[in-house]
Amino acid sequence: MPQARDRTSDQELLSRARAGDAEAFRVIFHREAPAVRRFLGDLLRDDSAADEGTQETFVRAHQRLGTLQQAEKLQSWLFGIARMVFFEHLRRKRRDAVPQDSGDPVEIDRAPGPEEVLLSSEADQVLDGALATLSQERRAALVLRLDHGLGYPEIAETMGWSLQKVKNEIHRARLQLRQRLQAYLEGAA
Amino acid sequence: MSGHVPLEEMEALALGELEPAPAKEIEAHAGSCAACARELALIRAEQGLFARRSQPSIDALWPGVAARIAREPRIHRPHWARRIALAAAGAAAAAALLFALRPAAVRAPLAQEAAASESKRAIADALATLDRAEADYRRAAVVLESEYAAARKNLDPELARRCDETLARARSNLGDARTLAAQDVNARLRVLEGYAGYLRSLRSVVEQSQEANP
Repeated sequence: MPQARDRTSDQELLSRARAGDAEAFRVIFHREAPAVRRFLGDLLRDDSAADEGTQETFVRAHQRLGTLQQAEKLQSWLFGIARMVFFEHLRRKRRDAVPQDSGDPVEIDRAPGPEEVLLSSEADQVLDGALATLSQERRAALVLRLDHGLGYPEIAETMGWSLQKVKNEIHRARLQLRQRLQAYLEGAA
Repeated sequence: MSGHVPLEEMEALALGELEPAPAKEIEAHAGSCAACARELALIRAEQGLFARRSQPSIDALWPGVAARIAREPRIHRPHWARRIALAAAGAAAAAALLFALRPAAVRAPLAQEAAASESKRAIADALATLDRAEADYRRAAVVLESEYAAARKNLDPELARRCDETLARARSNLGDARTLAAQDVNARLRVLEGYAGYLRSLRSVVEQSQEANP
């Protein structure tokens, strides 16, 4: 469940970071980087690339702090930057002609059963396999909603989509996810 | 509540985003509607799965970020603002120069010797100001040229070739004009005008390249 965020503190931190306070930006990084890293991990499906993408996202965020006016949009703003970093990573990989995730669904061997989901690492495994079956854009929208708790309007802004498209994509993503996770979800529900 | 609960509302309930009253209403409805109860249970199971994912460690990433941002300029401004500030610095220097070189008729009358001495000082000051203004314009041009180099690949190849030719011609003309101007203050002022035109052309091709971004 998404944590309630201390917006006043966000605002204060942002003001200090904009004024060049490195410690304030470090606090922002430690607060927001885990979500950004997980988001990029879900999109890129490569730990090393996700680490690099997270660093790049925060370096760019630091350069552009002056353009963010509303502290309550900090997280969706960071996800928006991370998404651009992700696309640039894909473009670079295409240019280098290295085989990579084309955005098309990837088949996994089998759907997991409930007995496989006992520990969090197994929850990671179960979800990773199921998320891999979604296209990159659909996967991004779904994790922004279910993993990071962004509202539909914030996702629309982050993805550059209409509200209706966000709803459609999340609905389709959920149907696909459920197909893969049927055994586990039915057992847990 | 009549009919089924919209999916988004059940999702908001599972994510803990609803106020107590609507949350209670949906729970009550789910208590008497098998379809909504099942949907809610599935959403909660999905949510539970996401909530149990492990948190990635990011501690090792901070030093790299800190090192990179330590090398940046400390003032946060949009990149256009930075470029415009550079160009404006050149324009301000040119304006200051024009003021320093205003016609003698509008200045207070001075003794002949004092006037000659002032004239030499004014020319020296003017040339120093021109050097600074030119350096400002060159820095602005370097920023824009690197942005153009990065975004050029987005342009249609024929258009990119024409842009390259125009910019190369402008650079060549500027170089020639600067050589000819030497220490002639008026000629140097015209070189600054040439720089301003070159920056406008550069900005235009950078915008075209960025807008053409696939």
